[in-house]
Amino acid sequence: MDVVIDTPTKTFIQVTEVWVPEDGVLKLVEGSYGDLAAFEETSRGTEFAKGEGLPGKAWAEERPVVLKGFDGSYFKRTEAAAEAGLTSAVAMPIFDEDTLKAVLVVLCGDDDARTGAIEVWHEEDGLLMLDDGYYGAAKHFEWVSQHTSFPKGQGLPGGVWVSGHPMLMRDLGSGYRFIRAESAGEAGLTTGLGLPVPVPHDKTYVMTLLSARGTPIARRFELWDARKVRAGDNAALLVDGICAREGTLGDPDNAGNERRVTAFQGAIGRVIGTGLPVVQSGQSGLSAGYGTMVAVPIHQGGELAHIVAWYI
Amino acid sequence: MKQKLVVIGAGMASGRVLEHLTDAEPDNWDITLFNAEPRGNYNRIMLSPVLSGEKTYEEIITHDADWYAARGVTCRFGEAVTAINRDTKTVHGAGGDVPYEKLVIATGSAPFIIPVSGKDLPGVITYRDLDDTNAMVEAAGKGGSAVVIRGGLLGLEAAAGLSLRGMDVTVLHLNGHLMERQLDESAGYLLRRDLEKRGITIKTQASTKAILGKDRAEAVLLESDEILPADLVVMAVGIRPEIRLATDAGLSVARGIEIDAQMMTSDPDIFAVGECVDFNGHLFGLVAPLYDQAKVLAQTLMGDPAAFVVKDIATKLKVTGCDLFSAGDFAEGEGREDIVFRDPARGIYKRLVLEDDRLIGAVMYGDTADGNWFFGLIKDGTDIEEMRETLIFGPAYQGGGQTDPLSAVAALPPEAEICGCNGICKGQIVEAIAAGATDLGAIKATTKASASCGTCTGLVEQVLQVTLGDSFQMPTAQPICGCCDLTHEDVRRLIKSQEMKSQEAVWQELGWKTRNGCHVCRPAVNFYLLADWPVEYLDDPQSRFVNERKHANIQKDGTFSVVPRMWGGITTADELRAIADAADKYNVPTVKVTGGQRIDLLGVKGADLPFIWDDLNKAGMVSGHAYSKGLRTVKTCVGTDHCRFGTQDSTGLGIKLEKLLWGSWTPHKVKLAVSGCPRNCAEATCKDVGIICVDSGYQVSVAGAAGMDLKETEGLAVAATEQEAIDLTVAFVQLYRENAKYLDRAYKWVAKVGLDWVKERVVDDLDERKRLIAAFDLSQSIYRKDPWAEHAQQVERYQPLADLTLEAAE
Repeated sequence: MDVVIDTPTKTFIQVTEVWVPEDGVLKLVEGSYGDLAAFEETSRGTEFAKGEGLPGKAWAEERPVVLKGFDGSYFKRTEAAAEAGLTSAVAMPIFDEDTLKAVLVVLCGDDDARTGAIEVWHEEDGLLMLDDGYYGAAKHFEWVSQHTSFPKGQGLPGGVWVSGHPMLMRDLGSGYRFIRAESAGEAGLTTGLGLPVPVPHDKTYVMTLLSARGTPIARRFELWDARKVRAGDNAALLVDGICAREGTLGDPDNAGNERRVTAFQGAIGRVIGTGLPVVQSGQSGLSAGYGTMVAVPIHQGGELAHIVAWYI
Repeated sequence: MKQKLVVIGAGMASGRVLEHLTDAEPDNWDITLFNAEPRGNYNRIMLSPVLSGEKTYEEIITHDADWYAARGVTCRFGEAVTAINRDTKTVHGAGGDVPYEKLVIATGSAPFIIPVSGKDLPGVITYRDLDDTNAMVEAAGKGGSAVVIRGGLLGLEAAAGLSLRGMDVTVLHLNGHLMERQLDESAGYLLRRDLEKRGITIKTQASTKAILGKDRAEAVLLESDEILPADLVVMAVGIRPEIRLATDAGLSVARGIEIDAQMMTSDPDIFAVGECVDFNGHLFGLVAPLYDQAKVLAQTLMGDPAAFVVKDIATKLKVTGCDLFSAGDFAEGEGREDIVFRDPARGIYKRLVLEDDRLIGAVMYGDTADGNWFFGLIKDGTDIEEMRETLIFGPAYQGGGQTDPLSAVAALPPEAEICGCNGICKGQIVEAIAAGATDLGAIKATTKASASCGTCTGLVEQVLQVTLGDSFQMPTAQPICGCCDLTHEDVRRLIKSQEMKSQEAVWQELGWKTRNGCHVCRPAVNFYLLADWPVEYLDDPQSRFVNERKHANIQKDGTFSVVPRMWGGITTADELRAIADAADKYNVPTVKVTGGQRIDLLGVKGADLPFIWDDLNKAGMVSGHAYSKGLRTVKTCVGTDHCRFGTQDSTGLGIKLEKLLWGSWTPHKVKLAVSGCPRNCAEATCKDVGIICVDSGYQVSVAGAAGMDLKETEGLAVAATEQEAIDLTVAFVQLYRENAKYLDRAYKWVAKVGLDWVKERVVDDLDERKRLIAAFDLSQSIYRKDPWAEHAQQVERYQPLADLTLEAAE
């Protein structure tokens, strides 16, 4: 498998947190902090009201938010973040129709060696335009993306938009939308995960995570279809996935033999059961022996429709 | 001693044979594997995700070099076998001959290329293997337009992949709906809708005439003379078994290499497997039966008894976001019964086909969770009588799952127009409800929705019910029939506002409970569609009553009546002679003058109809449409030409009106009359539209009746000129066509919407009058034609050259 290399590397995302609304404020329920213990401690003592800080802003504005540079911003944990070397963050609200279920926050460090991309696209006049994105060292790719738009059905963001499904793209360096593909190839971006971000009202947001070989966002990606019309009640099917250790994860014969989990069966089962994101770190028993996993639910049409998971 | 096995072709079927063989008898076989492609076995059916970028080639490799090495398979990849010598038992490849004891031919299939000019141009490719896929990826990198010929499984996957890669894609499909081998019309409609949402253009009933271009493909020319730009043309038309080697070797070959149930060809040492075989007339393109064949062949080679049987197969499409499933036989047939479930809100369609209490076919779109369960029932021939009532809800059925009668309205987007008169959308009504308008009166007062003609009242009430739930008690409205929960008015309104242009769209989006309607709703929906979308919608004769299908009124003894048109009730001596001749020639027992000033030939035998039509056509006469829900007659008096009292040319106006209006379909029959003076000899005041000429102009009145009900017309307007009288009449007829419930005569419709509402549009609002006339003209550009002529012409074409039943005269 040439997509990702199975050696310990610097990761693009350093911190992942799950904030859940409780009594009118967002409280931290799960997080993966690696060795950034001080930042973890600060975070565990923090709460966010609606509109407050980055998670509160994603909640109040009902959209994913990218924040680059914390100094002088609404970011609340600036000092602790600076000490931990974290400079950028993305907050993704998880709505079930009008109800906020959780806010997923990922934080990244600024480092010339870290390449990857977390992008937020929104629909405007029938095209997907870049809302904002964090690219690490992939500066040229960032510039190209800022000047790219996607029509319906085209490219990773356009494909996610029209299908309403998360999608996993391999080989980003070839064949997609001319310049962006070329630039992605040059930046070493190989694997792309695109996911719809449903929000209240009639707005379209698509988030993409583009992973590079050297500083991968993840070394295993999984897409689970949890819609009742595909998986039945309280269950999900593993419809696509790629793993640096186990290779391709989809059903090779595409004949309906996908792996199926039910509610509360493992980490994915926990997402099915609770409808909330799961972040697990430093525990044994994760798939293929990975140390950290993040699983994100996508609610559509009043039900849990998809789960995307990534492991590193 | 190892047996020498040579395998030609490293595809999925032969790969599976090798797996079975080397697993069970690793030491018994000395295997040489030839492959024309310079690579080993990969999962060909996953090429589509490779094209779309959702997989890499490496991920779909089934057997890599290590696999072959570990099993001692000698690989001769990139080397085509050129001949089989059955006498010497050797195969000949470019790198030398290889002897065999047993030979397996697994040459697969070759793509079919339609024989049009330009098919050999660079830029025209088929879709079979990795090289084709890579060629498409490379082409897509340059952007531009792609045309995919044939919307089957492979073609649509190619289209979706190319679209993801950034090309503008058009799919050309010869049939009426996509994937017609795997899907019925309803599922085909949903698939089309999904693909169009992706920005893919779909053209059905589109036949390719040629591929144009100088040095490479530049465009595709259709039979309709439309030209589509194309930097890339993908032919996904079909496959044919690759049989050249077998033919040259003298093996028995039909469409494919003929095999028996043990996969043996006509030579007992030569076997064939996969897409290249022909088993009792069956060819194979999907993977499941190939794997069955592989297993049988491996067992045969190992000397174990096994026999291949053809089984039903299930189909899925590998396009992310398009969930469809089909299995078994779902053609219509005697003794077959459908169970249909639709959920417009979620884009779900499920249809089960039953025969003798067995499930024989299933088509599902949007909800495929139970596909494999249904497939099992089909394969096993399970008796489903006990679970028939709940079968469609699947194995997990717990007693819920009733269709929601409001689901069609619930599915409407906020911008869906509910009240056409005042341009009020669903979202505005929902907002008004949120602001406190919780009954029909309050909605009328705050938004004006349903406050004009009132035909959208049912829809407004449904929006109230959907929004307020049980706190709003909906009055019971009469649905069209048992097939749906909506009234005629609701269906009409939604066909317009949601731009539904096909029967399939109506069935699906409005939650029809039957596959394609019934004798009650189909004629109505057919009329609504052709009245609202005359250009886009094609009239469906199968959705018409028998008289309209036969273009004649069937009489109680099974004979027909034939009424030629007489414009304005005027005829000539020549026409009368032709009618008399026809009556003689076809032994017409009764010739009757009708109340509408026509001559009715009664008692014509069905078989004679095309001939009598032909004779009347030749005399210059066309159908009088005496059988249709359309314009029947314009009755006139003689007017100023002959009558001392006549004030205007009533006959001339009648003829003009009839020539303008004939052929148009209307909700019910339409009769007109023009009288030249207020003495009203043409009895205009009991017609749908009646015109009385007076000195100052023309009194146009509407909505009269002289049948079961008797009603005098009501004054619409007084026109100063003949042209204005014509305009008012046409606008009125068009307004009636656009708004009335099917089978409501004009007087019933006017009673519902009110004459004032009609006047506002036809008389007062000149722009609307203009629009109505233009809309009528557009429709007439298609429908103003003689239905007799089409049938009469066919008769002429097939007329025998001589009557051989006659004996020669002495």
